[in-house]
Amino acid sequence: MAATAAVAGTGSSLSSRRSRSVVSSSFRAAASRFRSPRCVLGSEQLRVAHEGKRMSGAESRTAWAPKVPAPESRLAALPRELRDSRMKIFSGTANRPLAQEIAAYLGIELGKILIKRFADGEIYVQLQESVRGCDVFLIQPTCSPVNENLMELFIMIDACRRASARSITVVIPYFGYARADRKAQGREPITAKLAANLLTEAGSDRVIVCDIHSTQALGYFDIPVDHIYGQPVILDYLASKTISEDLVVVSPDVGGVVRARAFAKKLLNARLAIVDKRRQGHNMSEVMNLIGDVKGKVAILIDDMIDTAGTITSAAALLKQEGAEAVYACCTHAVFSPPAIERLSGGVFEEVIVTNSILLPEDKCFPQLTVLSMANLVGETIWHVHRDGSVSSIFQ
Amino acid sequence: MPPCCSPTTSAVTAAAASPGASRSGGLLRRSRPAPAAVNCKKIDSLRSINGAPPCIPVSNRSLLTPVTLPVFRDPNMRNDTRLRIFSGTANPSLSQEIASYLGLELGKITIKRFADGEIYVQLQESVRGCDVFLVQPSCPPANENLMELLIMIDACRRASAKNITAVIPYFGYARADRKSQGRESIAAKLVANMITEAGANRVLVCDLHSSQAMGYFDIPVDHVYGQPVILDYLASKTICSDDLVVVSPDVGGVARARAFAKKLSDAPLAIVDKRRQGHNVAEVMNLIGDVRGKVAVMMDDMIDTAGTISKGAELLHQEGAREVYACCTHGVFSPPAIERLSSGLFQEVIITNTIPLKEEKSFPQLTILSVANLLGETIWRVHDDCSVGHEPYSSLDID
Repeated sequence: MAATAAVAGTGSSLSSRRSRSVVSSSFRAAASRFRSPRCVLGSEQLRVAHEGKRMSGAESRTAWAPKVPAPESRLAALPRELRDSRMKIFSGTANRPLAQEIAAYLGIELGKILIKRFADGEIYVQLQESVRGCDVFLIQPTCSPVNENLMELFIMIDACRRASARSITVVIPYFGYARADRKAQGREPITAKLAANLLTEAGSDRVIVCDIHSTQALGYFDIPVDHIYGQPVILDYLASKTISEDLVVVSPDVGGVVRARAFAKKLLNARLAIVDKRRQGHNMSEVMNLIGDVKGKVAILIDDMIDTAGTITSAAALLKQEGAEAVYACCTHAVFSPPAIERLSGGVFEEVIVTNSILLPEDKCFPQLTVLSMANLVGETIWHVHRDGSVSSIFQ
Repeated sequence: MPPCCSPTTSAVTAAAASPGASRSGGLLRRSRPAPAAVNCKKIDSLRSINGAPPCIPVSNRSLLTPVTLPVFRDPNMRNDTRLRIFSGTANPSLSQEIASYLGLELGKITIKRFADGEIYVQLQESVRGCDVFLVQPSCPPANENLMELLIMIDACRRASAKNITAVIPYFGYARADRKSQGRESIAAKLVANMITEAGANRVLVCDLHSSQAMGYFDIPVDHVYGQPVILDYLASKTICSDDLVVVSPDVGGVARARAFAKKLSDAPLAIVDKRRQGHNVAEVMNLIGDVRGKVAVMMDDMIDTAGTISKGAELLHQEGAREVYACCTHGVFSPPAIERLSSGLFQEVIITNTIPLKEEKSFPQLTILSVANLLGETIWRVHDDCSVGHEPYSSLDID
């Protein structure tokens, strides 16, 4: 493939490509080079993309579409050798369907890669095609099993680096260990910082993350980070449902008030309420008090993730007691550790709206569940990163 | 003459600074090559130090026996001779209080500015092999105080300090802890990198704006809170606990206010939901919760221009609060904070002395508490390798 592209190119193009190849042959130099820092998003910048072409999706999915020209016309403008050789997308094993959707959105095939595990559990990775001089994007959420997926990602990064990739961008739809973002007590690690250090040390040049648990964690990286949000996807879906009653956006805990408030601003400047729960231990919850008023209103609980669903289920029960007409749960990351499914399908929720940042197996589906796709959003971000365009403009 | 002697002395004593067996070897080496004149000056210099005992064993033919103990030992000293505390120019009174708590004199240091604004630092005493603590908040003027701290750190490193701990009661740029929009810097992370690169081995900070910012450092960070000091004071005022509501003036500080409410007899919580149009401009929109007939205690980590907390207090009065108290650790008090805080909205404004306040910034409702004992105790435990987690200064249970 690379040889064919070289033959097809003009003389100057061929010369230019060889020059880049020489530079890239030193992977140490290649690893240290990266483009100037790019923009990331803040909650204040988010706006709903109400217009733009709507892509068709699965029955229970709504495809978010940017208000920019279709990717086909954009890709057609590229020279063939640029299109073929410069951008490569590879998927780890954690969420292949999402990676496939992203590649389809961008109009390219996923790169061929061999990932297997030896009998003793060690992970083996081999790229089945050349990435020399390429902009490589590795798509891998570090969801459960988190340490397996994380190690697989490191090994993929190292494989690309040693294969003389020009730049390696890690696309992490769900950043595991993101909640370990501070020393809440003495003698604890900050594992989110450690994970950031390990990603950099493995050889990544850039990171794209989605709805990381706290935005301060972007400062753990010494390489550029593009932070994107699942919020436009969820807002788009909620807007299409035309809920007519008064809306109250509720944060299920005090840590997520900033996120819920940003959501409330986008949702027709809805009112805000907070559940003040006081936690006794990890993954244990206790609801104490509702701050604000939800009587006779539709409550939309907003969080970045649902893990065991204890917090959000207790909050929903409290909202019902306080007179809420209906309770919706919205989050980006459906972690759904046991016993989340039992709690969420227990009838307290009108609907549970999540995205596909984490792949959900069949046995974790239930009637109230709606899974939205963020493939278009991630694909659009990848396109802008690759072409050195503005990422924050996607969210305006 | 003294500058000429200094390099030779430094080279000779470098060997003496080595630990363990090489120390005695260093002693032997010291006596053999050094001229007698240098030794005589060294001895004179050691004797003339006022209040700071010498920490280097001295051996010389003119003495009958080696002097291996401090000449000016104070029986009340809690520490050994390796603990040194130096103050920058940002908050010398706090540093003095900390040193007094520890039963120490502040180390002597020259800090001056040249005509072109460059900062000059020279340690006036040896820190070789010492555990050095540099006390310097990076409060306004933030860049001046920060640069001074970096230069102090570099001076200590080049003077062969064994450990350098930056004690930063107020961490300027702490609010710049995330890229809230595209194409912004994360200045808190940059400052953390600079402090590490300058040569600090450890950092002791007080009430960082967000606890995640500890992760910006690759060196150990001890994070202490001003909350116990404020809680002690509020407890001594005997406000009936049934009447208290803790209020967060913005949504970003709800976790901090909630932690405070838990400590304050599990008081209920309220939040002012303000929607900000720009930097340092605030707009109050809504109160979430109920304060009617109650005493509202507004809790924040800092008060800068006081716009947020003043409009919050105004809203609380409209919503029927009986009294409003303002509590925070860092009294930054940029203009027009004093006018807003002293206008009658607040029963009392309670801050700590992490940032020194000039006389002109005092007003009748202001109460300043001291964090010197808190920081002094932490410094002692850091130096003595104890835990900073012991009561009553445990980290807050923020979950």
